[in-house]
Amino acid sequence: MSLQQLNSNSFEEIIYDDCESCLVIFSRKDCHVCKEVVPMLDELKPQYEGKFGFFYVDVEEDKNLFQRFSLKGVPQILFFANGEYQGKLAGKVEEETVEEKIAEVLNA
Amino acid sequence: MANTYDLIIIGGGPAGLSAAIYGGRARLKTLVINKGTIGGLVNTTREIVNYPGYTQVSGPDLMKDFHKHAQSFGVEFLKEEVVSVDLSQEEKTIKTKKGKEFSAKAVIIACGSEPRLLNIPGEKRLRGSGVAYCATCDAEFFEGEDVVVVGSGDQAIEEGMFITKFARKVTVIVLHDEGILDCNKVSAEKAFNNPKIEFVWNATIEEVLGVENVEGVKLKNLKTGSSSELTCQGVFFFVGMVPSTKYLIDTGIEIDRRGYIPVNDLMETNLEGVYAVGDNRIKYLRQVVSAAGDGATAAVAAERYIEELNVFNSNVLQSEKKVLLLFENALINESLEFGTLLEEVNSESADNYKIVKVDMATKKNLAHKYDIKTAPAVIVLEKGKEIKRLTCVLDKDKLKSQLC
Repeated sequence: MSLQQLNSNSFEEIIYDDCESCLVIFSRKDCHVCKEVVPMLDELKPQYEGKFGFFYVDVEEDKNLFQRFSLKGVPQILFFANGEYQGKLAGKVEEETVEEKIAEVLNA
Repeated sequence: MANTYDLIIIGGGPAGLSAAIYGGRARLKTLVINKGTIGGLVNTTREIVNYPGYTQVSGPDLMKDFHKHAQSFGVEFLKEEVVSVDLSQEEKTIKTKKGKEFSAKAVIIACGSEPRLLNIPGEKRLRGSGVAYCATCDAEFFEGEDVVVVGSGDQAIEEGMFITKFARKVTVIVLHDEGILDCNKVSAEKAFNNPKIEFVWNATIEEVLGVENVEGVKLKNLKTGSSSELTCQGVFFFVGMVPSTKYLIDTGIEIDRRGYIPVNDLMETNLEGVYAVGDNRIKYLRQVVSAAGDGATAAVAAERYIEELNVFNSNVLQSEKKVLLLFENALINESLEFGTLLEEVNSESADNYKIVKVDMATKKNLAHKYDIKTAPAVIVLEKGKEIKRLTCVLDKDKLKSQLC
């Protein structure tokens, strides 16, 4: 997997201090839907190099992060820009849907 | 062409993997195209206790064994989604979402099924915000909360019990009268004895309520018609499956109105060289063990079909001698008599031709290919190309004159 994994500290730095435009997928190892969505993001990532960040949070390792966003399930892709939450996509999402959402965040 | 195979299997669940094992062992050049995790829906099962030889095994572990087994026979795997197919020709072609193209002599469709959506208000909107379909993935998010489970099949009841490890209370919404569940008896008994599980009988769910997150569900009593609301923070849907065969609509393959593919005992579909196995076909029992059986049957049928195809290619299409392709029907006397006469005439003229008999009852694809409707019929082929058709008369001289 080429997505950089975040913990509570690096999450803080990248999302709120650096204000990077990015997405963060909340996932877990034994979730079969995640196993379809994560590789899709992996493949999408190179197209957005330098423009849009792709990150990963393991909800088992960093429970406080999913609790903070009161998430009710994985996988969920959360979008951020300028240190602000821009919405999320839940469950089994298609590549096109993610691309549309990225475009929306970048053009906002 | 590098992307040419003997056998392509679409889907990497137990049916597809079993077909791959048999295909690989038969030395067919075999490719499995699978869009998600190898193993398919079996990966969502924590515990399998009825696959012979395994007293108890997890779904993912069993599928890893299937996968390794197929790999040991040289089967290739590709993680991609198939978006379109042309299966009606002798050479079958398959296109993937990323634009890759493959061709094969035979194709086995093993795409399985996916959870059915009820399409009720709130279901889609609150997905991931309390609406869930996978207990393994999401049960933990409902620690100490109230959860509703919709459905009463094996999956609903077994997953419901798993959710009680985290949730405060699990309420199961059941269509049937009190005491009747669709699941197996062992699980039903366990569920009835689980203090954290409650049941609402004769009910369906009409709406998922909530603004940001699930706050409750609206239920309808089927006996009285009255509606009621139930407060909860999560809803898990286990309301059956639908076959993943949408991409096959309008491709010439027969599909019933629910999306399942009808097949015969050999797993043959209505198209030559195309087979359907596992959960996406019409069948009585949808289990790992029956899926594996399907896969084996289809792979053997495909192997024989490919063998026939290869024999035809070398015997007929690449024959040095001119070929008389004789279409026969064993039930028609005239057809059999004509066959005997044709052989006699040929031997009298120094076996100028090679006679290849085609039984119209079993080789429907060949009859179709040459547009033959009645037997007897004879096509004269030179180097695989049709040069003429004979008029089939039971008159030795007239027949002889046509062959000169």
